[in-house]
Amino acid sequence: MLEASALTKQYNGVAALDNLTLRVEPGEVFCLLGANGAGKTTAINLFLNFIEPTSGTARINGLDVTAHALETKKFVAYIPETVMLYKNLTGLENLEYFSALAGRSDYTRLELLGFFKQVGLQHEAADRRVGTYSKGMRQKVGIAIALAKGAKALLLDEPTSGLDPKASNEFSELLRQMSADGVAVLMATHDLFRAKESGTRVGIMRHGQLVRTLGTSEVGHADLERIYLEQMHD
Amino acid sequence: MIRRIARKELLDTTRDGRFRVLAILVLAISVTSLLAGWKHYRDVQAQHEQAQRATRAQWLGQGSKNPHSAAHYGVYAFKPKNRLSMVDTGIDPYVGVAAWLEAHKQNEFKYRPAQDRTAVQRFGELTAAEGFLVLLPLFIVLVTFSTFSGEREQGTLRQLLSLGVRTRDLALGKALGVAAALALVLVPATIAGIVCLSLTPEYGSLAGDTARAALLGTIYLAYFATFIAISLGVSARARSSRLALVVLLSFWFANSLIVSRAASDLAATLYPTPSAVEFQSAMEKDLADPSDVEQRFERRRQELMQRYNAASIDAVPINFAGISLQEGEEHGNEVFDRHYGRLFEIYDRQNHAYQIAGIIAPLLPMRALSMGLAGTDFAHHRSFVHAAEEYRRSIQRVMNYDIAERAKPGVVYTAGPELWEKVPDFQYEAPATGWVLEHYRWSLLLMAAWLAGSAWFAFSSASHARVD
Repeated sequence: MLEASALTKQYNGVAALDNLTLRVEPGEVFCLLGANGAGKTTAINLFLNFIEPTSGTARINGLDVTAHALETKKFVAYIPETVMLYKNLTGLENLEYFSALAGRSDYTRLELLGFFKQVGLQHEAADRRVGTYSKGMRQKVGIAIALAKGAKALLLDEPTSGLDPKASNEFSELLRQMSADGVAVLMATHDLFRAKESGTRVGIMRHGQLVRTLGTSEVGHADLERIYLEQMHD
Repeated sequence: MIRRIARKELLDTTRDGRFRVLAILVLAISVTSLLAGWKHYRDVQAQHEQAQRATRAQWLGQGSKNPHSAAHYGVYAFKPKNRLSMVDTGIDPYVGVAAWLEAHKQNEFKYRPAQDRTAVQRFGELTAAEGFLVLLPLFIVLVTFSTFSGEREQGTLRQLLSLGVRTRDLALGKALGVAAALALVLVPATIAGIVCLSLTPEYGSLAGDTARAALLGTIYLAYFATFIAISLGVSARARSSRLALVVLLSFWFANSLIVSRAASDLAATLYPTPSAVEFQSAMEKDLADPSDVEQRFERRRQELMQRYNAASIDAVPINFAGISLQEGEEHGNEVFDRHYGRLFEIYDRQNHAYQIAGIIAPLLPMRALSMGLAGTDFAHHRSFVHAAEEYRRSIQRVMNYDIAERAKPGVVYTAGPELWEKVPDFQYEAPATGWVLEHYRWSLLLMAAWLAGSAWFAFSSASHARVD
């Protein structure tokens, strides 16, 4: 579903992402680990076609994202570190607007409320302006938008950083449900614990390169941390 | 998609408390200035009609006297105001609306309200046009400056673009959203304007003025659309909302306050007008030049003697006093035509230069078009001055030829009401809308160019809008 082949992005000759090759199949949750500046966000931005690759290609559903900029976006949903919403609109109005712009303007109020319920948001929160929303609630709205859009792939950029453990856990649970429904997930994260919990595979990045890939079922928590630190030390 | 974006922008904007306060303020100013314009129009129009009737009654009731005395007695001519002058008073407060038409002189216009004003009042009269041309663009800038840059700063732009929204759809939707928010102010203001226009049924047909009002409204809308497009384009291009605001306010300031004055000064430097004293003394010098008048008298003397086959002018059955009065008038008219023609030609050139300066600021062609359609520009003034002068000359002709035909040399001659009635009441038909558009074709063209150029700027800026 998500596919990078020899994907490279250089800024003034310095590689922010160096020759990344990876595939994320439907139902997989691939977690990109690595320090700040390792190239995780660059990889996601390349998939979203927000930046042009220096060389290599990123494909979504088999289509090159630079050649099919609008079409490939139909299949993905993007959730940033903090989902930003329009503060003068209510939660439900935000959800309705984002899903309408994603091409689904046909939902009734009841259906939209259904998505709210599905991601564990209180009914009373739906008609409140989002100025009062916590970060956990915002991230859930992000998932609700992805659900409403019917995305086949998710691109997540450190979506749980700064969330309290309960909210973080709820978010991971939602991810698990989506991947069980056959959604391919690519998530950049710092949270080794979350990566182990909700990921099917993890990739460790350093200086723009993917230096190690492993299946989460192969390793325990302690092993993952040890391997990660080893890679950072070199 | 575009409609959905527009609806969200409208909702987002109208829920903002700052917008509501601004909108109410702008609406209040627009409606107040319209009402003030309407009141002023009605008062002035009533005064004019009364004065026009009074001057006619005085003319007809001046009793028995020599026609030349009647010519000196004179009449007043009042410039009729177009209904749209309640929107844009244009140059009327500066050039005046009434002229005293008397023998031997083409007088300057009187009743110039600007003369009685203090310097502060002179700085800015708040007409509805001023509100629409200067205040509304500021309102548009304040509502629009952060539409793109704000979304970029918040991070919502990333999310929107990740959904597969085309930036040009976003730009168009946002433009329509701002336009809809603006309509919340414009629709009530327009209704107020229509009510004001229709509450003046006693002054001629509404139909022609309504067509003009619709045209003026359309041109104003094009101006607002230009400002919306420029604001969107700058917002899409600027690195931050703050920068967008600074750039747009600078443009607004230059457009409203600087370029207009600079263009007037430049036009006056390129085509300098003589001072009032210079103009008057040059004209008086030519008027007093006896050689031309002597030649005219001699020519007419010979002509008449030939026609009546007479040996001397005294044998001609026509009173030469009347002929010489008329020849004196003709001489004066030539001088007036030459001097005023030259002066008005300079004004026309200045106006043209001022309009062309609209390449840098859309306000200049807008002012020209607004005044032109309101009938308060210099072209209308010139047309009226011409008509009033023609009327003055016709009075002189009737009086002088009456003396020539009826007065006996050496006998005191008086005429009565039959003669005064031979002079028809002054009727003036203001130029038609087509004439105005033809006169201001450069301004129309410039406004079309501004609209097209700003739309292109908005679209190209939005298409290249950076995500962060």
